[in-house]
Amino acid sequence: MTTLVAASSNRRRAWSRGLLAGPVCFITAAAVMAGAALWYPEGAAQINNIAVPIIVFPAIWAALFFYLMLDRRLGRAWVVAVLLLLGHAALIGQHLMAAQAAKKAAAPAAASTEGAPR
Amino acid sequence: MIALSQSRTKEVLAIHGWSGVFLGLLLYAVILTGVIAVFAHEIGEWSAPLPHATHELPQQGLDAALRARAAEVDPAFHDELFFFSDTAGRIRTFFHTHDQKPGESTPTDRGVEFDLDPVTLAVLDRREGWADEVQAQNLPAALADFFVELHVSLHLPNPWGLLVTGILGLAMLVASVTGFLVHRHLIRELFTLRKKKDPLLVKRDAHVIAGTWNLPFAFVLAFTGSYFSFAGAFAIPAVAMVAFGGDQEKLIETVVGVSVPENKTPAGFANLDAMLADARSRTGADAGFVSISHYGRADAVVSLSMMPLEGELASDNLIYDGATGAFVRQKPFLGLQPSLGNDLFLLMTPLHFGHFAGIWSKTVWFALGFAGAYVTLSGMLLWTTRRQHQPGWARLARAAHWMGYGLPLALAAVPLARFIAPGLELDVRAAQNWTFIAAAALATAIALKVRDLDTLRCVLLAGTGVALLLAAPLRWLTGGPGWVTAFEAGLATVIAFDLALLLAGALCLLAARRAKVQPLAASDAKLIDEASPA
Repeated sequence: MTTLVAASSNRRRAWSRGLLAGPVCFITAAAVMAGAALWYPEGAAQINNIAVPIIVFPAIWAALFFYLMLDRRLGRAWVVAVLLLLGHAALIGQHLMAAQAAKKAAAPAAASTEGAPR
Repeated sequence: MIALSQSRTKEVLAIHGWSGVFLGLLLYAVILTGVIAVFAHEIGEWSAPLPHATHELPQQGLDAALRARAAEVDPAFHDELFFFSDTAGRIRTFFHTHDQKPGESTPTDRGVEFDLDPVTLAVLDRREGWADEVQAQNLPAALADFFVELHVSLHLPNPWGLLVTGILGLAMLVASVTGFLVHRHLIRELFTLRKKKDPLLVKRDAHVIAGTWNLPFAFVLAFTGSYFSFAGAFAIPAVAMVAFGGDQEKLIETVVGVSVPENKTPAGFANLDAMLADARSRTGADAGFVSISHYGRADAVVSLSMMPLEGELASDNLIYDGATGAFVRQKPFLGLQPSLGNDLFLLMTPLHFGHFAGIWSKTVWFALGFAGAYVTLSGMLLWTTRRQHQPGWARLARAAHWMGYGLPLALAAVPLARFIAPGLELDVRAAQNWTFIAAAALATAIALKVRDLDTLRCVLLAGTGVALLLAAPLRWLTGGPGWVTAFEAGLATVIAFDLALLLAGALCLLAARRAKVQPLAASDAKLIDEASPA
């Protein structure tokens, strides 16, 4: 009975680890890459925040993959991945909403300028 | 090298093995086709040779060619155009505009494409339609395109093909990093080949030696390859979405750094040859790619991408006012000032394609890539052979033999279709695809029929050898230049490629004969267990 429970627990941990280091890792790495466009320094040419995250995406994924695969404490690995994912998703969401609001605010202003007598 | 505990080493070794087992078959396909794609230019030159071989834009005459071709096409296609030397050595120029293709959400290029002779600039071919239709009609580049597309996207539709090859690149990255970590005696293993031991142990040593020497190269290829795949598949649209609300054109405008106020007033176009000469005097290099926006308008812009100077990996872009011919600025490829992003971006291409020092660097990339394919296949065979007494693993061992030796057979059959199809008035690209599928199906049938794995290897190797031996004579019999003609015209690539294929064919037949004499797969799998690193 104890052996069966242990085997079942091991199987669950293996699936959890596979899910974490597979799809969750990939989605998190993609979120970090996209979110980095907002926090990575632009540099003098104002393109580093766009080009560098795209180029180093394989490195972001690899670093995350090895950490999520090799951290003995599975729960901690899940917490790190989820925090990274949610943190970047929130950053991106907030930026997109702010951009949307700015666009809405600019639209009536542009319309009133066009309609104004010259 | 890196001190890992025994349990950690076991974990890393498990990741190393399983990353190969899960994706090894497809990874092997991508690496092998990548090895072939390194020579895309040479394949184009070999399969559709011109009387004079060159891969450079001419220094004079491009201006007259531009005006003559511009007069022949719908002015709507003057919106964007470019010139470059393609894989088959033709100067390719595509006059096009961005249009909405029925059933597609994003704009697609539509226009007229010409193939020009690189010396006389005479029109060799004219194709019209949407970008994908134009590409499908391009016969001279068909064979090179087949191998490149198979490598880039496995001939799957975008973005799925790019995603698959990107994931395979990540698997290779994992295998190379873990391969480095599990080698406890890296320096010793670079030189350890126990020739007089059991054949299976020799194979294991050969895998470790090839893998160890190949580690840095495998890492570079995996990294750059997955970057190229993911950038096109989702990274650029994702960053465009975040930074520019999904406006990819705005992203390109910002990153490329060229923005001219729109002015649709008709205007003459300055002399392109003079701009090319000016660019040459400023940089000391020749232009590799000429791009023109808004030809015939006051806001026309000419962008010249210069070839890297000898000993350098990167080069600059020169911008000219198309209406006046005035030099505007010299700029990095990305942005208007030097930057880390530009430097990294420019490094990716030569590191992945290996074309920075001509044929010599390509040969090194070919050799290292070939070693990578060998490491992938031998790793798969070792991993499955050691477990072949279990039913599932026995099937995987068969699959590894099928892919390992069947894929070269299917690839070797493709040039035969390329040469036979025009004579039978068949669509060359479709004939290539169907021949590849038919040869792969034949390899599958043989793999299912032949029970003994050594015999299977022997049959598939012999088939590959025969196909390779047939390619050169078939090229000649279907109207290609013979060796004397090729020698007189200076077409060294044609002769060298013929010889390489004949040699490869003979080596395959020899290997098939050796495989028959010295069966390996049936050896005692225990020996590998004993020899494994962990």
